[in-house]
Amino acid sequence: MRNRRRILNVTTRVALGSAVLVANIAAAQNDDPHGWLNKMTKAVQTTNYEGTVIRMQGGTTEALKVVHLVVDGIVRERVLIQEGNGLEIIRNGNEVHCILPDKKSVLVEEWNDQSTLFFSMPSSDIRFGSEYDVSIVREERVAGRKTVMVAIRPHDEYRYGHRLWLDSATGFPLQTKLINVDGKAIEQLKFADISLDEGVDALDLQPSYDIENFRWINEPRRAITHSVESEWTSDNLPRGFRPVSAHQEHVPGGDEPVTHILFSDGLANVSVFVEAKTERDVAESSSVGASHSYSIAIGDHLVTAVGEVPAATVKQIASSMQPE
Amino acid sequence: MNDAIKTQISAFVDGELPDNESEMLLRRLSQDLELRQQAAEYFAIGRAMKGHRDVKGIATLRERIAAQIGDTEFSETSVRAEPAGSRYTRPLAGAAIAATVALAAIVGLQQVSGVADIADAPEAAIIAESASDATYTVPVQADEQLLQYRLLHNASTGNINARLVTLQLREGGITEPGLENPANDGSSTDDEEAQDQQTQ
Repeated sequence: MRNRRRILNVTTRVALGSAVLVANIAAAQNDDPHGWLNKMTKAVQTTNYEGTVIRMQGGTTEALKVVHLVVDGIVRERVLIQEGNGLEIIRNGNEVHCILPDKKSVLVEEWNDQSTLFFSMPSSDIRFGSEYDVSIVREERVAGRKTVMVAIRPHDEYRYGHRLWLDSATGFPLQTKLINVDGKAIEQLKFADISLDEGVDALDLQPSYDIENFRWINEPRRAITHSVESEWTSDNLPRGFRPVSAHQEHVPGGDEPVTHILFSDGLANVSVFVEAKTERDVAESSSVGASHSYSIAIGDHLVTAVGEVPAATVKQIASSMQPE
Repeated sequence: MNDAIKTQISAFVDGELPDNESEMLLRRLSQDLELRQQAAEYFAIGRAMKGHRDVKGIATLRERIAAQIGDTEFSETSVRAEPAGSRYTRPLAGAAIAATVALAAIVGLQQVSGVADIADAPEAAIIAESASDATYTVPVQADEQLLQYRLLHNASTGNINARLVTLQLREGGITEPGLENPANDGSSTDDEEAQDQQTQ
């Protein structure tokens, strides 16, 4: 009897100890913002969801109906803008149909990537370097669910900050904000309501419009001529930015291929395009939403930098490009 | 729109609606186009009846919604380009449109914002000023090369949100089948502009 009680006591202690250990591990994970970002990355890639997203950008607000399913690793998605032009995107793997109801047209494109409604996070091994701080700010409710708010703050004015509200249970981002150097939100996505996994129906992936008599426009495939060792470099990139790829590409409507160099700091991306200078009249700088561009003539070439970064960043990158 | 909804919207504007009800109201507004239309007309009628040149309710509504969305710091910066008047942007019909967009920006009322605001341009201008809105411009595709660069960049980075912007830019260059004159493509922007000019 005494032995049995002792065994029970030991069993209880082991169980309690295990519970405490699990709780401690969970607490440690909950306190680790990088752990949350890893959880988010996995959730974005694997979670099925359906809901209404409020998208705020450039002083406008739009509601989007979103259905997202991942079947055998293939993304199937429908995004319907509830306002304005009623643009609808139907995605099945790499093939994307962009339905323009006002134009009675369907643009057929091929997206060779895993684009999601939310910006993609870099893998943990190259994450951020010393350009950003990542921290957990507080807990809040979004779309009726408990979330953990994570802040990604840049160290300088050459990149935007991010705020992420991650579902406490799954890590799925229920709200994201892009923050400019003045601390103002310049782009925001927020779920007003959402069903995760169990409530998502494949039938909801069907187009909302009767597109039988629409004109179908097949976009030419993105023509990448070949990867190149670029002859263009910069010795004055904003800190943390480095070239990650260089290609020569044929731009639709253009005669000559352009050199496309992609720079990244691990989170923010800037593309630089180098083309032979022509008579084409070009604005020096422009912005669309959070994206800025800057064009400058360097020698016999026109260099254009484009990216979701502050205007100063594209200007510095474009201006600093030099042929080797 | 029934009285209960009017009361709810008014309470929301005054910051007196409980959080859970505010969330429900926002959700309803985001999902119900008709309700948004009615809400826009409700504000327009209220303004006319009061004879106010300034409609604080609109600004307050926006502030309240921004606060509810957790967005007190939301920037009103809109699409713009330099130098001014360049080919990348096209100003809409001045401050009158800016006012309608100020209202539209709150809850996505783009499709109905012309109902009353455009009919009263000077007043609308004051509304726009009171709401601290920059003049709204819409992206108009003129430089095909730059648009292609944006598309290539977005394809490289996989940002669908950015792609939505460029898709909307691109739509300006697509004409409806059977329309010979691209200038009369019936886009919503042109319609708004035409309405605005007619009412001034």
